[in-house]
Amino acid sequence: MASFEPILLRNRGVENSTSLEVYASRGGYQAVRKVLQRSPADVIEEVKSANLRGRGGAGFPAGVKWSFLPKDRTRTLLCVNADESEPPTFCNRVLIETDPHQLIEGTIIAAYATQSQVAYVYMRGEFHEQFHILQKAIDEAYAAGYLGKNVFGSEFSVECYVHRGAGAYVCGEETGLIESLEGKRGWPRIKPPFPAVEGLFALPTVVNNVETLSCLPHIIERGADWFTGIGPAHSAGPKLFCVSGPVNKPGCYEGAMDITVRDLIERDDMGGGMMDGKEIRAVFPGGISMGVLTADEINMKLDFDDPRNFGLLGLGTAAAVVVDTDTDLRSVLRNIARFYGTESCGQCTQCREGTSWMNKIATRIAMGAGRVEDLDILLETARNMGMMPGLSICGLPDGATFPIETLVKKFRPELEAAILAQEPGRAEAVLNVLN
Amino acid sequence: MPNVIIDNQEVDCRDGISVLQAALDNGRDVPHYCYHPGLSVVASCRLCLMEMKMPHPKTHEMGWAPKLIPSCQTIVRDGMEVRFNSDPVQANQKACMEFFLLNHPLDCPVCDQAGECHLQDYSYRFGRAESRMVDQKQVNPKKDIGPSTLLYQDRCVMCTRCVRFATEVAGTSELCIVNRGGRAEIDVFPGKPLDNPMQGNVVDICPVGCLLDKDFLFQRRVWELTGSPSICPGCDRGCAVRVDHADEKVYRLKPRYNPGVNDWWMCDEGRFGFKYIHDAKRITSPIVRRGLDVTTPDWRDVPDIIRFRFEQQVLEHGADKVAVVLSPFMACEEAWLLIKFIRGVAPEAALVMGPVPTEGKEQTFPVRSANSGASEADVRFTISAEKCPNRRGIEMLIGGAGGTTLSFDEFNEQSGAWSAVWMVGGYPKPWVDKATTKAVAKVNLLVLQDLLESDLVAAASIVLPACAWVERDGSFVNASGLIQPFERAINPPEGAKRDGQYLFELAGYEGLYSGERVRGLMAAELDSFAKIAEAPTAPAHAH
Repeated sequence: MASFEPILLRNRGVENSTSLEVYASRGGYQAVRKVLQRSPADVIEEVKSANLRGRGGAGFPAGVKWSFLPKDRTRTLLCVNADESEPPTFCNRVLIETDPHQLIEGTIIAAYATQSQVAYVYMRGEFHEQFHILQKAIDEAYAAGYLGKNVFGSEFSVECYVHRGAGAYVCGEETGLIESLEGKRGWPRIKPPFPAVEGLFALPTVVNNVETLSCLPHIIERGADWFTGIGPAHSAGPKLFCVSGPVNKPGCYEGAMDITVRDLIERDDMGGGMMDGKEIRAVFPGGISMGVLTADEINMKLDFDDPRNFGLLGLGTAAAVVVDTDTDLRSVLRNIARFYGTESCGQCTQCREGTSWMNKIATRIAMGAGRVEDLDILLETARNMGMMPGLSICGLPDGATFPIETLVKKFRPELEAAILAQEPGRAEAVLNVLN
Repeated sequence: MPNVIIDNQEVDCRDGISVLQAALDNGRDVPHYCYHPGLSVVASCRLCLMEMKMPHPKTHEMGWAPKLIPSCQTIVRDGMEVRFNSDPVQANQKACMEFFLLNHPLDCPVCDQAGECHLQDYSYRFGRAESRMVDQKQVNPKKDIGPSTLLYQDRCVMCTRCVRFATEVAGTSELCIVNRGGRAEIDVFPGKPLDNPMQGNVVDICPVGCLLDKDFLFQRRVWELTGSPSICPGCDRGCAVRVDHADEKVYRLKPRYNPGVNDWWMCDEGRFGFKYIHDAKRITSPIVRRGLDVTTPDWRDVPDIIRFRFEQQVLEHGADKVAVVLSPFMACEEAWLLIKFIRGVAPEAALVMGPVPTEGKEQTFPVRSANSGASEADVRFTISAEKCPNRRGIEMLIGGAGGTTLSFDEFNEQSGAWSAVWMVGGYPKPWVDKATTKAVAKVNLLVLQDLLESDLVAAASIVLPACAWVERDGSFVNASGLIQPFERAINPPEGAKRDGQYLFELAGYEGLYSGERVRGLMAAELDSFAKIAEAPTAPAHAH
């Protein structure tokens, strides 16, 4: 298969790619100049017809999101979601590290299209180096007159600030992000009102992911038709995929959304196959939140629609983590449950209590003190949480339940066998110590 | 007025309220923790979820939406159809109640809230009998968060009502949430305890036993208490309260919903200000002095003794030498009866408005600060500087009676002129200075009707025990002119008799005094007393 000509990652590997000079010399900041000649409505139309779906995980079309802004608004704010916290996911990090000016250009285009006066980059607290890279790039852009008052000498002005989070998963949820940006506790808001109507500081607000915005200069530069020509119609455009686990070349790769999970793991220009002849037991293809695939299901297409056919929540962040046959699924289960147990914000009852309960159960199972009925409780608890039946304010509990539910359902025989192989009386003994 | 169908029943409801409120108003016990009508909606406890009919996105046909929807967050619309009696709704309630109890210590036997706990009630009604969690419980700490309040975090359901109260109503924002997920806790900031004049309300709105009142801690099981509707006498706002008492002892005061007056709240001064009613220095029996002879007469003889002594003074010195000092702690009915008696024996008697205690300045809430964002228009609660309940009522009666009326200062200036004075006290704190005591001691006949022992007792010819407001019934007129009746909660201490009863007899009536009966008599004479204001009664499930 012919290797994909990188678009978003085209500057990766280029020396000094984070500098404005290098970015501009490679055709950067041309798209934004064109955009400023067009009307904002025209730009929105272009993005709509490119069918640019949000890369943050939900896959909602960006142009449609922008058109929810009230027509009679006087002020608009843009938030750039750089709170990339989903486990095994690091595509935004790569974009910021290698090509911060691409993000800044995309941000200016989005700000112009939505007529935003200020763009806030909400950056994950753990991004230290990346913060300095982006801040340096922003300073360069300000010095060049690309940000601030009258960008590129036009009538349009936009300020850009980087805000660093304190390291909470839930602050990647758009209203949690907004609350955190306002200086409050990062608790997702109840909707309606949606951010487009009343968001940051009670003003109409657009929240877009780093990767989504990074696509914008290319859509403007090469046109919506070119963009929709990449990959299947419902999942157009370039996409970054991450792969980690026992593969030969873990990393971040770019491709169209016509590849399969198997391609991502095995292709030479991607994961490069399993390390040391290890065998695949399971793959979490979209960040852990979306759920798990068995080794038989890895022909799943990495687009926005196909994951649903495999009982997954969606494409998510398209970051695959591979679990090999040497790994104990009980510790995988425990690792997942522990993550959500610590990351639930604690607002909604079901998520707050459910995630910590699942964590306790999974921890006990991993300690070799599980009971078969614990698997049923895990499944029932998973059913009793989440936004899908309307039980929570945000989608975090869905992300918490899908991996656990799919893991328990798809690997129930293995898990049960492991529990039955425990030392007899171990579960009772551990429970006696605990209580 | 929107018409909503709740569980197949058509319900008319007020505009702009939530479906949850409409259901509660309609007698449906919909479980909820985070929703409180006086606070912002956060929709986080997820207990009040309901099913709602919505148009299908494609066919536009009305049908039950696939998701459950928080009823606290949904505003009623005409023609809306919702249900709480379906399987998904009830399954969620059941699951939720199991979640709430996962880490709860189940220490009801030593918990003050037991008996009025919505965790108990809801678990019993909507939950399951046993927890399926076999693992170790998350044990959150017990904390002392302020001079009057304890926080037992292990019992918390994270409804955040207290946090919202401190921010939105008190405006002092002492409370916050720390930590995340299952380890989340309510807490105060280091060195900034929960210490504001309204903090006691957080204990009232806590649906479980997490926030505890140190004053009431371990004093009494709540099911042994009887609640009597009353009006707080602490200041002239006239907050509606409930007096919780048992065995002739008052244990605590709780606010009652009284829209436009105190809404759902009360201040700590009123809440903890009732202690004087059980003071050891209460006057508990009548005393009559004749020279050095001191007797405790039988209550049956008291009216005749008083009437005779007053008639004697009027005969000897004239009716214009009689004065009565009325207290702003009296009920309107009592003052009316006393005026009726005095003007009956001495038609020219002077009516004196007793001292009106004031302290400090009026306090309004939310406290305005740079951070609260509250403006003058947002005042949600006021603590008045005038620390008595019924100045306006007494003034209305003095004004209505006409004749000679004096202020307390004018009365003092003419202290040598009186031959017979009836002074009514009832103040929780000392209320006359030494000079006044000395001056009134020279009056031939001084009748003192007071609550607590003082130098005045030694100066008086006749001492009548006054009763605390919880031992009486009648009405107070508050700062906005509302005539608010209050009921008797407990009996007077042994030996004492209710003020209303002996004044009723003195004024020439027979039988038993009741505030309602006297109000009827008053209304025939004074139009202004025809209309009383009573706080609405809220159903117990609407908390």
